[in-house]
Amino acid sequence: MEKRRPQLSLDELHQLKWLLGGGLVLLSVATVFYLDVDAWTLMALTAAGVLAVLVKPEWPARVPVIVHRLAFPAIVALFVGDLWRTGEILPAIVRLDILLLLYRGTSYRQKRDDLQVILLGLFLIVVAGVLTVSLVFAVQLVLFTAWALAFLLVITLTEAAAPPVPARAGDPSGPPAWTRIRWGNLATRVRAVTDWRVVALGTGLFALVVVISAALFLAIPRFQLENSLFLERFVSKKARSGFNETIRFGEVTEILQDDSVAANIDVTDRSQIPATPYWRMLVLDEYSNGTFKLSPRLRRATFDNERTGAFVRGSRRPRLGLPVWTFYLESGISRYLPLLGPFELLRFTTIQNYRAGQVAGLVALRDEPVTMTAYRVEGMLTGDTVPDPAFTEFLAKPRAAGPLQSVELLRMVGVGEADRAVLRQAVAEITGGATLTVADFSVRAERWLAARHSYSLQPAIPAGPGDPLVRWLKANGGGNCELFAGSFVLLARTAGYSTRVVTGFKGGTWNAYSSNFTLRNSDAHAWCEIFDPAAGAWRRVDPTVGPVGAQEEVRGEAALARRTDTSWSARFDSLRVFWYRRIVNFDQRAQVETLKAIKDATEDSGRKLRERLADLFRGVRDWLAQPWDVRRIARILAVAVAAAALGWGWREYVGPWWRFGRRPGRVGKADPVRREASRWLARFGPLSGRAADEEAVHAALLRLRFGARETWPEPEAVFRQARRVWRESRRRRRAAARLT
Amino acid sequence: MTASPSSSARLGLWNRLLWALVFPRRHQRIVPTVSGTLLVSVALGIGTAAYNSANNILFITLAVLLACLVLSGVLSWLNLRGVEWRLDVAPPLRVGHVAVVALGLRNHKSFLPTYGLWFDVEAKPEQEGPPAAVESTITAKGIDVRAALARAEAVDARGQLVLRERLDPRGEARLDWTFQPVRRGRLVIDLVGVGSLFPFGFLRKTFTTEQRAVRLVWPAAVEYRRHAAASERLPAGSERAPQAGSGGDLWALRRYAPGDSHRLIHWKASARSQTLLVRQFAAESTTGFALALDSGATVWTRPEQFELLVSFAATLAEDLFRLGQLESAQINGEPPQPMRRVRDLEQFLDRLAVVQPNAESPAGGGSPTRLRNLLTFAPDGARGVIALVNGEKAASA
Repeated sequence: MEKRRPQLSLDELHQLKWLLGGGLVLLSVATVFYLDVDAWTLMALTAAGVLAVLVKPEWPARVPVIVHRLAFPAIVALFVGDLWRTGEILPAIVRLDILLLLYRGTSYRQKRDDLQVILLGLFLIVVAGVLTVSLVFAVQLVLFTAWALAFLLVITLTEAAAPPVPARAGDPSGPPAWTRIRWGNLATRVRAVTDWRVVALGTGLFALVVVISAALFLAIPRFQLENSLFLERFVSKKARSGFNETIRFGEVTEILQDDSVAANIDVTDRSQIPATPYWRMLVLDEYSNGTFKLSPRLRRATFDNERTGAFVRGSRRPRLGLPVWTFYLESGISRYLPLLGPFELLRFTTIQNYRAGQVAGLVALRDEPVTMTAYRVEGMLTGDTVPDPAFTEFLAKPRAAGPLQSVELLRMVGVGEADRAVLRQAVAEITGGATLTVADFSVRAERWLAARHSYSLQPAIPAGPGDPLVRWLKANGGGNCELFAGSFVLLARTAGYSTRVVTGFKGGTWNAYSSNFTLRNSDAHAWCEIFDPAAGAWRRVDPTVGPVGAQEEVRGEAALARRTDTSWSARFDSLRVFWYRRIVNFDQRAQVETLKAIKDATEDSGRKLRERLADLFRGVRDWLAQPWDVRRIARILAVAVAAAALGWGWREYVGPWWRFGRRPGRVGKADPVRREASRWLARFGPLSGRAADEEAVHAALLRLRFGARETWPEPEAVFRQARRVWRESRRRRRAAARLT
Repeated sequence: MTASPSSSARLGLWNRLLWALVFPRRHQRIVPTVSGTLLVSVALGIGTAAYNSANNILFITLAVLLACLVLSGVLSWLNLRGVEWRLDVAPPLRVGHVAVVALGLRNHKSFLPTYGLWFDVEAKPEQEGPPAAVESTITAKGIDVRAALARAEAVDARGQLVLRERLDPRGEARLDWTFQPVRRGRLVIDLVGVGSLFPFGFLRKTFTTEQRAVRLVWPAAVEYRRHAAASERLPAGSERAPQAGSGGDLWALRRYAPGDSHRLIHWKASARSQTLLVRQFAAESTTGFALALDSGATVWTRPEQFELLVSFAATLAEDLFRLGQLESAQINGEPPQPMRRVRDLEQFLDRLAVVQPNAESPAGGGSPTRLRNLLTFAPDGARGVIALVNGEKAASA
């Protein structure tokens, strides 16, 4: 029999339960780190409180009973006050949840309180997961599940070890006995109790839980009930400045210093990726005192009325062979969706409220998305022009009403007379008094700007009267993309060209691990679009010089190779993309595709296995048919001897690890007598229903196997007797079998 | 298109397997606990929200919760697998005396321990005859029904044995349950069910077992009063009786029987005869009694008095045997059984455990008057019982 392991006492089980419960609370409140809810103070308070009572478990006993009596009303009052103060129900509920966790984590718990801790923690994690759609949620859910299962297991063992004793929080009889914890001693005891084989089995089973969860996730039938998520309505989020209808100089600079991921983009045909993609989000027309903004008139002219649905029809006609782009836009970026240009069809994963600018190739959601927003775009124009036949028509009839006003706005400079003179002088320098085409003017203006200004993330606008942009234009200092784009617009408009500022992202990196584009906030950019009447389209002009603007035009695989990111952050980003592709964006169609892929893979592997077995069979047959000689036989014998040696080694050295869970030397490996006795005991098996002589031999064998050496009977005699009794027993059994 | 026989057989196997996984086996009962109900409710809520919002985060959470339930089932199966239990009731059982029911446990698993089992044990009198038909109409008042049920419950003893410690792999454990039988007769000790909350306490899994032990419960020992008149007329105890007893003189040799003391074995004689023989000693006293019990229903009309009679007879038989003064015992005119060994007395007590009022026995008849020192019994008033030696009052209870 195996040496008996110690058992944890009831007090030690209570201590373990206390530790696991506290850990679960800490794990749950960690959601505040990635949940965009203002609960940092509560989180810090909860963490500090739980850590304090983990170190000093007797402290909760010192809390007066009146505190426990008033706890619930106080928590309710705090929740109501919070709700009244902020008016946002979900953040208030999250804070209430943390408050309850704080209370439960710092007071003695009965079983129902332990269950409450699990439930509160699960709620917090699920809410955070739904609101953020973050990969951290997956990690936290796995950790939480493992921890909660261990917690429940210890609760069950504690209950089994002793019936539950009703003890209320704030019991005046003082702290329970188990609160005298020495964590070092407990760790030693737990280590002594733990069998590595059981731990390995438990780990394997938990891995099985993860696999089963994945299988269930794939297999759970999906029905599209056409309803949007309820929780998003109860929380609000503000987009990053720089991607809204108004842009002030300097705002993009802040974004450029942020290296976090803004969007991930999948494309079905990588050969059609532009060399330098410009992801357009918003066009701004109205300029006034250093600020560009989307004028209400352009908004009306550009965007349709608000609609609700999962599809957006674009201005482009269906064409074959164009790639499909799938965007995963992170939360907190903007309600304007980044796109390369006009498109044929845009499809959301869930129903959205949106306004679409079909001609301009822009889409705006009604609300800032609080979660990652996924959408798929088909038939998207990826060139550097945006056709606008309506604007061409309006230009041809300048006296027409309505949108014409926006045409005028797109030519309006919006500066004082003094500044206008400066601009006129600059335009004269650019054009040399000649009438230029749009393309020529653009090239000359870009050169003019590049000759006087360098790219800088710390632009210096000289102080003084007049328009700030004109001051910067005169000063010949460094500037960022906003200043370059704004200046170009003023110059072009002064020269009589309709021009607008476009904000969005430029470029991005190609993730080599997940094969997708990754846009970071540092890729935010502002450029211009100037209308070319000859082409009847808006032509992209990027006047920014330096590292962002002046890039060599490389196309195709070479462009991707230059953008390829193989860093560690790309590895983590690939996990995020996997999460979005396979989990978050998993719908009924993806489910069918996945199941079909699994079925195909299974059939394919089955076919390959059959082929391999057939090959193996043919190989064995051919091998047997070969002539047999001494060398061949010797080789076979050598292989057999090696296999036997391996088997012996397994039995002698590895087997005891598995059978006894410890080193072979400690179970008598070095003692042949104990080993032989062990073999005989295994041969005899259970003793029930044995004859008297077998019992006597069994007792002697047990003494040889486990007893002290000085109490041993003569081993050889015992083994002889065991052999004799074993044979007699076998004979008797056979005789009995013949009779029956 | 029709399915081939092999494919339909395979389909049937899968169906059975899936059904076995989903539906509990026969004699199994699975009831969700508070935490289990909570888990199911949370899963339902999250599932509803997931379908309502088509949110994959909720679908993942739902999948994890369901997988936890699957893990719970697997661990519970592993916990119960390879565990053997055995009911062991040590005789004798006697009314009013503490009886010990032992449950032997053995874990045959190689490295997995077993935790948190409980065993529901029940001891109840064996039901005689076929089970009563189910009454379609109950005419008694509620209070009467409750009283009847309470009376029926009173004779049943129930207990729960809980495995509070870990049952190590290849280890054994013993759980004891004590109770006091309240009625003589055949007592059925049932291992009604085995239950477990392991591992996470989501489900209370119980299943019935076939473990059962039937034991006889001897009548209770009663206090009685001896009357000197009858014993004075008995002969003096100096002459040797031609019968076996507990004296010092060798009387005879006989074959060994189970229950005989090993010290009584006559080794030389056994070796010669190649058969185990034991010594019998002559009784030292001649004051032997022949106990005769008449269970005539016409004499013993009151059940309580009849029970007292049986208990009185058992007590007297035991006391007289201990003194070596019980020669024989008989019930209802059957041939007297010699009381030579402990086993004889035990057999008589076994008979007393199940004796019932005999409707065919004539009142006062059937007693063999030819026996010496005949010890008989008669009602003493409405409740008492007297013991008569040769018709004279010797003791009363």
